Amino acid sequence: MIHARGVSRRYGAQVALHETDFDLAAGELVALVGPNGAGKSTLLSVLAGALEPSTGSVERRATTGWAPQRPALYGRLTPTENLELFARLGGAALVARSDRLPERPAAELSVGQRQRLNLALAFLGEPRALLLDEPTAALDDERRAELWRRVGALLADGGAVVFATQLREEAERADRVVHLHGGHVE
Amino acid sequence: MRRAALLLRKDLRVLRRSPLLLAVLVSYPLLIALLLALVAGYANAKPRVAFVDDDNLPETVEIGGRTFHVERTIRRVSDDVVLVALDRDEAERQLRNGKVVAVVRVPAGFVAQLKAMQRSPQLELETTRGLLASRVTQQMQALVYSLNRELQDAFIDANLRYVDLILHGGEGTFLGRRFDVLGLERAQDRVRDPKVREFIQVAQLALDQTDDALEATANPIELRAVSERGRTWALSAQVQAHALALVTTFLAAVLAAAALAAERDERVLQRLARGLASLGEVLASKLSLAALVAAVLGLGVAVAFGVAVEAAGVEGGEPWSRVPALVPALVLAGAVAGALGALVATLAREARSATLVAVLVVLPVVFLGIVPREAAPAAGWVSDALPFAHEVRLFDALLYETSPWNTALVEAGWLLAIGAVLVAGGRAQMRRLTA
Repeated sequence: MIHARGVSRRYGAQVALHETDFDLAAGELVALVGPNGAGKSTLLSVLAGALEPSTGSVERRATTGWAPQRPALYGRLTPTENLELFARLGGAALVARSDRLPERPAAELSVGQRQRLNLALAFLGEPRALLLDEPTAALDDERRAELWRRVGALLADGGAVVFATQLREEAERADRVVHLHGGHVE
Repeated sequence: MRRAALLLRKDLRVLRRSPLLLAVLVSYPLLIALLLALVAGYANAKPRVAFVDDDNLPETVEIGGRTFHVERTIRRVSDDVVLVALDRDEAERQLRNGKVVAVVRVPAGFVAQLKAMQRSPQLELETTRGLLASRVTQQMQALVYSLNRELQDAFIDANLRYVDLILHGGEGTFLGRRFDVLGLERAQDRVRDPKVREFIQVAQLALDQTDDALEATANPIELRAVSERGRTWALSAQVQAHALALVTTFLAAVLAAAALAAERDERVLQRLARGLASLGEVLASKLSLAALVAAVLGLGVAVAFGVAVEAAGVEGGEPWSRVPALVPALVLAGAVAGALGALVATLAREARSATLVAVLVVLPVVFLGIVPREAAPAAGWVSDALPFAHEVRLFDALLYETSPWNTALVEAGWLLAIGAVLVAGGRAQMRRLTA
């Protein structure tokens, strides 16, 4: 569903990702692991199309949803307004519900609530491939379980998910674990 | 552009939820406009004074045997004020709407009266109210004083010649009539002579005029001030054009910078970059926001100004019919200032500081625009490359020129060119941010 070839990414003089190849197949759950600064978030952003690779290319053959590590949303808009706006921008026919989040500006939500909104935005438009950067961070047990249920449903439906994590037990859920270190796939 | 419209709607919604910010953004430039116009108007620029010549002044005037060059005299006045030759109606119109702070009128028969040396002819000075008017009055008084001193010498010479004529006799002219005067010296020998009797009659006539002639000698020209017929300084064309340009520039630039900075700060640009909205669409939404808000608030300022003029009972005032012409100008000015703000927001290293940087950039842009060209030509050249000065001239022309379209087209052209450069810079910078 996603194929990256020779992808690297530089921030000025610093190289965050060295010529990396990556493939995500249908029905596959892939975990990206590695220490802080290993290049996990950069790889996910490049795969999602949020960052242009400095070299190499990314081919996406399916619609993708992306949840960055730090929620990317409009702080002055309510959860529903955020969802509506991004749904309309993406041309999604169905506007998602606000996942029972309080209807106040997103900037005033708790960290966990903002993360739930961040994930809800990733699921907008019913993407076939999900790219989730530490998706369970700041979520309570109930929400974590709900997330994994939704991920399981997508995989069962032929979708694919790649996620970054620092947690071993989460990585163990994956069909495949990719280790990153210093911007290199090990 | 559907996605740009969606982003614009979002920005307007966010703006509506920040009433305090909006109030500050509106009141701050108005306050600055008032202060700047005060400083610019009083300290720097030469006051613009209309010169109405109802007497068709000749190039030179001969008084008391001396020749005065009218052109040189007018040039001397121009050292202190910008003297603009206008016909009577246009001068009155410009005085009412505040484009000139005073009207100096040379009434018909001025030169003839001056030459006759019977009584002092009057220059008429009409002024607006306020600081500039008093400054102009002082300058005109100083001018009349120096003219009087020159004329005084000529008049004294002329009077001495009459005295000499009375004493020694000879040919002379008075009130356009030629006389062959015997003179007191020769008259003593011919007391019974009819010419002596004629001389006595002429002497009596001359002596009858002595009072007026001496008064004219002491004060050849009087300045009759008819004040307070025009707009107050606060309601002048200068203040309104500057207020509109400042509100537009400041508000649009800071707003666009803040909106784009917020998207950088909230990391939404990367989400949008995933095919949700192109960089051009994001930029277009910010320019649209700036243009829309500038148009609405600019119109508000123009209408408030008009109401204040009406309420103050000021004579004349610009026709309200010009206000619609202001709308496209405000939209253009807002969009160009928005492009400046967007460029600043993308250039700022830290997204959070982008708004502050925008304020810091806008202020010198404005200051450069108000520095008089005569004071610092370089400031004028730099200002030509920035939007503020063109906005001032555009608004000024649209609101106050009798035939505004040439000026308006030229200034709009400048703004379009500057805007195109700023948009290109903004796009390049945004590409750098997301690349």
